Formats: sequence, structure tokens, C-alpha cells
Amino acid sequence: MEIYTPNGNTGEPERSLSPPLPLLTGLSLGILDNTKPNAGVLLDRLADRLSDRVGLKIGLTETKNAALAAPTEVLNTLSKEVQVVLTGSAD
Amino acid sequence: MSLDTPEMLEIPDGTENELHELFHQRGWGDGLPIIAPTRNRVEEMLSISEGLDPDEIIATLPPRSGIATRRIIAINAVMAGCKPEHLPVLVSALRALNSPEVNLRGVNATTHCVAPLLIVHGKAAKDGDYNSGLGAFGPGNVANAATGRAVRLILHHVAGASPGIGDASTQGSPAKYSYCVAENLDFSPWGGYARSEGIDAESAVTIHCGEAPHNVHDMESSEPSRILDKVASAMTSWGQNNAPISQGEYFIALCPEHAATCASNGWSRSDIASYVFNKATVNVGEARKAFELRAWAPWQHALKDSDTMPMTEKPENIKIFVTGGAGKHSCVIPSWGMTKSVTVPVAP
Repeated sequence: MEIYTPNGNTGEPERSLSPPLPLLTGLSLGILDNTKPNAGVLLDRLADRLSDRVGLKIGLTETKNAALAAPTEVLNTLSKEVQVVLTGSAD
Repeated sequence: MSLDTPEMLEIPDGTENELHELFHQRGWGDGLPIIAPTRNRVEEMLSISEGLDPDEIIATLPPRSGIATRRIIAINAVMAGCKPEHLPVLVSALRALNSPEVNLRGVNATTHCVAPLLIVHGKAAKDGDYNSGLGAFGPGNVANAATGRAVRLILHHVAGASPGIGDASTQGSPAKYSYCVAENLDFSPWGGYARSEGIDAESAVTIHCGEAPHNVHDMESSEPSRILDKVASAMTSWGQNNAPISQGEYFIALCPEHAATCASNGWSRSDIASYVFNKATVNVGEARKAFELRAWAPWQHALKDSDTMPMTEKPENIKIFVTGGAGKHSCVIPSWGMTKSVTVPVAP
């Protein structure tokens, strides 16, 4: 018996992560907080640790709704203002 | 735009066990037995849309950005147990799911238990033998069960909404197996729902991304207000996403007897929506205590703790349709929140 596969093609190329930066010292760090409970706490503490340990400069914090993609203006601001962004979710 | 025909797989012995083992290994299916999507079965499914390009792109579905062509939809329809007459409903449901206001990426990826409810309206419901009467939400009807299941299979296979991968739902939901119902137009005192939304077509489908139904039981009232007070009560529990998200809609599926009680007392759809909007209210201070994270309209942020406020920001967010048979049980279907329902005409 021969059957069709049910998945179909994908419309966009697979996205890959940016290559890791060789050195964080002296770079500016931004935070994209998705406003989930404790996300800000976690990201702030992580930023403080990174700042202490490798000398990242903490820059601006932006927020977004966890249920929606980050607005283009937020992404544009972050890409203009900082070189490293911490983001993620927490509950 | 159209795409190439999907890949085919050889199943050497062609046994059901072999088929199910293959699907299990590849992470396909919903855990229940499936119908093998052979070339003949898929061609038969597509025969209803003769003359149309089977590889036309109908929708591109997040988070996988999977492309749902008419053929891919037909393959999943076969697997779910659909008949050819269900395909136009399914294709139209995919068009609705593809609307930006549905926010399918969020619907599929959230930890919430949301599932897209598919409501079938008008001639397509009759032609496809969808159940709008007794037991409309199931089980027991091929059209409702199979079309709802096909929606889920497409979200799983094509959109990538697989538990733990593209679907983070904490507990999942029985509504994620199949969630399809037909509007009972014969017993809708106010005409069809789709027409009330401005869709002038003999057949239409609505997608509302929400929770499984919350029952509303009233066996005894001849006054609309006594029934609708219970509807309002079902709308005001703190556990719903509507509580902290004011843009969330509610779908109220009235049974024919409750609808008749409302209509015979002169109440229109908008009268009902206005009534429950004003009745389904909570204390603002209690809401602030319950939720630190609040996606409220600006005017709600300005309210005092001692004020009361509605569970949704405007009466138009309360949608009313009729379904079901004899008896006096209606239901409320709260929203996931960051999504809007969409109604589109049925087109093959």
C-alpha cells in the first residue's frame, strides 16, 4: 500500500540562531520581557550576573505581550540600541 | 500559487498495524486509529472540488509555517474519516484560521487549553449532514466528529501544533480531539449567525478559539432574565482567560428552548448580549487582587477598586447562536483571549 504523507511543505526557511558572540565584555545588553510572571525578575537577575561576570553594560528593557509577536518597533529599537538581547518566558 | 504533490510512502505489507506503527513512529495522528490516505481515497476526496487546483495554497499555518494546499487538507480529511462533501467546509475553516485576527501562532503555542471551535452554518450544514440537533457537540455524528478531527490533524501535522513541540498546553483538552458543531438554523428565532455578522452567503463557517463548553442549566424559567443570569454566572469565573483579558469574546450556544423563551419575550440577539454584558460583572478591586497581569482596555485601568466592570470590554464581544435539541441546557464558550472569531463563506 502507498500513502501520502500528511505534513506538506513549509513556507519559510528554517530559522537558525545567530552565531554566538566571541566576547561579551563591553557590549550593551537589552532585555525583552514578555511580561509573564517572574520573567522580568529572572531576566533582570541574569543581566546583573552577566554584567558582574563579563562586563556587559545593561541597556534598555522592552516589554511585549506573551501571546503576541514582539512589535516591529520594539525589535527595531532593540537592534538599534543594544548588541545582545535576553528574552524568554517564565511562570 | 501552487505546490508540488506531497511525498508518498510505501507500506510493504499494507496492514493496519503496520500503518499505525508508522504513524506512531513519525508522531502523526491523534492517538486514535486513522484511515490510510491512499491515492484513490485522496482523489475521491478531491473530486468535490473538480476543476480547482489541488495544490493551490489555502493557508500557511504557524508555528511551523506549514503550507495547507487543498490536497494536503484532503489527505488529512481522509485520515480523519471525512466524506468529500465535508471538504469545502474544512477548506473554508482553514481560510478562517489563516486570518491574522485569529492569532493562530498564539492559539497553537499557548499553555492554555484553547481549541478552535468550528461552527457550520446554512446549506453546507444540511448538505454535509452535520448535526445541529440533539447532542450537537457530540458524539455520534460523522460530519461533526470527522471535520473537527481533521482540523486538529491539520494543526498537528501541517501547523506543527504537536504537544510539547508547537503546542505547550499544560493539560491539553478533549476539545483538541474534535470541536465542530452546526448551527440549528431551523430553531434560531433571529435567523442565521453568519448573516448577523454581515456574511451574506448560503453557507458559512465560524472559527472561535476558546475553551471547551461550560454548561448552563435552567429547566424552569419562562423569563429570559432568569436563564441569562445563569449564562452571566458561567461567564464570571476567575479561571477563564476572559477575566484578565478584556478583548476576549464569549460564544453563547443557546439551546432551542432557551432561545425560544428569549425570542417569545421579545428579546433580540443584541438584547441578550447587552443584558449579559451588564450582568456578567466583577468587582474591580477583586479583579486586581486576582490578577497582577491584566490586558485591559484603557478605561478599565481608570476604574476604582469599588467599581464593578464587565467581563469583556464591549457587548459586541458576546456572540450568540443556537444549537442542540430538546432540553434546557445551553453553554458558554469563553475565549483564549488574544484572538478574534472569524466567519467566512463556504467556498471549495
